Amino acid sequence: MFIQQLINALMIGSLYALTAMGATLIYGILGILDIANAGAYLIGAYLGYYVYTATGNIVLAFLAAIVLVGAGGVVLQRTIYSPILAKPRTLSIIPLVAAVGLFTMCSDAVRLICGPGTKAYNLKFPVDAFHIGNVTILPAWILIFALTAALLLILWFILNKTKLGLAWRASAEDPEISGVCGVNTHVSMALSYILGYGFAAAAGIMTGILYNSITPALGDVPSYKMLAIIVLGGLGNPLGTVVAGLLIGIAEVFLSVYTTLPIPKDAIAFVVLIIMLLIKPSGLFGQKNKV
Amino acid sequence: MKRRVMALLLAGTMVFGLGVSAMAEEAEPIRIGFFCPESAPSAAADGQSSRQSAELAVKMINDAGGINGAQVELVAYDDGLDTKEAANIGEKLTTADDVVAVVSGSYSGPTKVVAPICQDSDMLMVSAYAVHPDVVNAGDLIFSQSFPGSVQGTAAGEFAANTLGAKKVAIVAVDLDFGTEQATYFKAQAYKYGMEIVSEDYIAISDNDMTSVITKIKDEDVDLIYSVNYYEQASEVCRQAALQGLDCAILGTEGADSWQLLETAGEYANGLYITTNMNRDDENANTQAYIDNYRAEYNMEPDMVGASVYDAFQVLFTAIENVGTDTQAMKDYIAGMKDYDTVTGKLLYYNASGSAVKPVQVQQVVDGEYHFAATIDDEAIIDPANFE
Amino acid sequence: MNAYLFSILATAAIFILLALSLNIITGFAGQAMMGQAAFFGIGAYTAAIITTNGGNFWLALLCGMVVSGLFGAGLGVISMRLQADFLAITTIGINFVMVALFNNMKITGGSLGLTVSKPTVFGIKFGNREFFIMTTILIVILCLLIVKMKRSWFGMALASINNDAGAAASFGINVHKYQILTFIIGTSIAGLAGGIYAHRMGFIASSDFAFTVSIEILSMVVIGGIGTIRGPIVGGILLSFLPEVLRFADNYRSLVYGALLVLMVRFMPEGLIGINSPLVRLFTRLFKGQKSSEGGAA
Repeated sequence: MFIQQLINALMIGSLYALTAMGATLIYGILGILDIANAGAYLIGAYLGYYVYTATGNIVLAFLAAIVLVGAGGVVLQRTIYSPILAKPRTLSIIPLVAAVGLFTMCSDAVRLICGPGTKAYNLKFPVDAFHIGNVTILPAWILIFALTAALLLILWFILNKTKLGLAWRASAEDPEISGVCGVNTHVSMALSYILGYGFAAAAGIMTGILYNSITPALGDVPSYKMLAIIVLGGLGNPLGTVVAGLLIGIAEVFLSVYTTLPIPKDAIAFVVLIIMLLIKPSGLFGQKNKV
Repeated sequence: MKRRVMALLLAGTMVFGLGVSAMAEEAEPIRIGFFCPESAPSAAADGQSSRQSAELAVKMINDAGGINGAQVELVAYDDGLDTKEAANIGEKLTTADDVVAVVSGSYSGPTKVVAPICQDSDMLMVSAYAVHPDVVNAGDLIFSQSFPGSVQGTAAGEFAANTLGAKKVAIVAVDLDFGTEQATYFKAQAYKYGMEIVSEDYIAISDNDMTSVITKIKDEDVDLIYSVNYYEQASEVCRQAALQGLDCAILGTEGADSWQLLETAGEYANGLYITTNMNRDDENANTQAYIDNYRAEYNMEPDMVGASVYDAFQVLFTAIENVGTDTQAMKDYIAGMKDYDTVTGKLLYYNASGSAVKPVQVQQVVDGEYHFAATIDDEAIIDPANFE
Repeated sequence: MNAYLFSILATAAIFILLALSLNIITGFAGQAMMGQAAFFGIGAYTAAIITTNGGNFWLALLCGMVVSGLFGAGLGVISMRLQADFLAITTIGINFVMVALFNNMKITGGSLGLTVSKPTVFGIKFGNREFFIMTTILIVILCLLIVKMKRSWFGMALASINNDAGAAASFGINVHKYQILTFIIGTSIAGLAGGIYAHRMGFIASSDFAFTVSIEILSMVVIGGIGTIRGPIVGGILLSFLPEVLRFADNYRSLVYGALLVLMVRFMPEGLIGINSPLVRLFTRLFKGQKSSEGGAA
């Protein structure tokens, strides 16, 4: 029972980490709380659905969604976010309003184009479920663990082993100084959006497979919950985001199962966040305060 | 040549003019107000079902020549599942739109806000599927087609005890009036039959993850899960229960009455029982006609939301046909309706507060389709007045 | 038609009050408040609970203000410890937790919400028109107070804190005291708006105070022009009427609404008539002869 719940928690936590990673990467460079990331998550899930239904190839579905949504992210960054940030003295909540507008547009465009009804991925695994003793493991969970690990490895590789990644980290540390030192911050920004929206798209497809259902409201919960996770992880810190995602997964599962809280599971992330911020105001892994 | 053309034109105009005046002598169109949540992504599927059934009802009656020769016109609004917008719509419908009555095809919140506005401006309203028990309490002009939570919860308890013979039950319910009301009355009935409720979990509407809840229930070794959820969550309850290897019956509610559940839960939905209002296997021509027409018109499966909206329009049409569009006359007529045939079976009567009293249907999913399982028609259970 | 118009106007007036209240915290004091709807809700539920238990309408409004202001003071104290984006997300969190509590507490009617009867004052049963008039009077009073406040020592202190908190502190300004004070003022006005809202709607449920409502209020402030008085007023009117005006767009209503938000922020981040916005610059150029000082003060 305990082990089963722990597996459940880690599975949900991995999905959270995957979902919030995009927002973390974007915050790391641009300092924007990008709620529109949930729009990428939603559109990714739908793109993946159509590609998978048409071709029957789930790998292709992942690739197509990640690439297309990532490219869309760069377009948004170029046309919307960067120009807003370029204006002097922009309050941090102003881009947030644009992001909310974009997210509203994404949800509504999906509703209008794809219809309001639920769609089912119907991805068939060779086995329905693995039963080991009293513990059940679903193939979709294994896929989530594997995909999260793989994507995080790729991310680690890009950030730590490539020139692009070095530039990214330099820009995240201090955009102005790195710019002066010849780092192309535009490239770093574009990289953030490609990876950020790509991650979100992958997370969207995973969610669609896990619950075998996608609706135009799919992005509603991630749009705010990912904010709690990225703050908990120290805003802009990829490793912190993974730990925070897992932590929230564990907190949600165990608090909702073993206690009778007067609040729903969705609010637990914020309760944990508020308590933590009161103890350590810069987040779990935050070294500095971005102002 | 030219003159002939002119003459023809003139003649044509006269004929056309005659036609127009003949049309004008026909009865004025009857306008009926309507609102549903179309633009809120979380409610848009129900909004669509609701709107389509409303349009179908109007189309059917107009194709059949209207009501006493008068065509029916739908004045439809999207409330966006926002009570502020609903308040505006309520004012517009009652003062500016020249409608004779209003049908609510929306959820509890908007319906609850519009009801007193209608009552105060002497406008009749029929609520199709809002479950808030206070909707009808706004006044004598407000009628409701839906089962309040009390009726459906009690009927579910009755079915669980008598037909399923459940002894140990786990409740999983959505954390809204829809879930808490039904769970409360289910429990009352369950205790009456000596059932044991081993766990109760109330889950936010936005939360689709049932994994940990089902794991917890698995340990309790129950013989029934009572799932008071909407289709997305109910689908996850079915899927997780099957995948984690639980061996127990699942009893859902009208919230799970949707083609969308059959789609997402697939084979795992087989065996699921639901309490609802429409019996797909009903021999009644009215029911079958609605199902066929809906499929033909929209290429979709009808659901409980749509059927309830269709019912509301049929009740209203019948009232207008018999007594005209005077509010008091319509009110008296509807209040006095007995054994009226709707697509959701026989509507026995409206009780004093304006709630429809009709049998609760229990359907079961067999091979991916809803089929008849039982009917609960004990008036002690299905009249909401017994629970006030 | 009048009833319809007054219904929109009553909502618009309440939201202008909310936008003005948020603007005190976000615009004047520069604090990233994202959960104004929570305080709107605290005021609404407090007032509703009092009148449904037989209390006086005016007393209920006052209590809604006070209780909401007390919670706001608590947040003000917390805000001392948090920097911009952390505060933003903490306030989002507070919004979610409050909505969850509204939805689960017995005293707030749980998920069934609360039914509130409309008040009768001096023999007049309050309808949309009366609520509109009453709220408009409150808006006027509030605007006068804000103008007065901005010219006072308090207003100057706020302006300097907003500009550079560190420098302000070095001039001997008690930054903490003033920040907490703005939170108290801003949240208690939101509480007042909540009390009015509950009685005007006649029914409140937890979803009326969701995070999306906070965003709605914030959008009004940003679109109108943050840090001014006229901005939130214009933004409040615009966004309250927009859903109704856009009815012609039928099914595309939300899409257009979202697009307008994006375009506004993209091309006029200072707001439609905010400080230094193109419209205001055009206006000042037209009336240059009169040496208008509209640009900054207003």
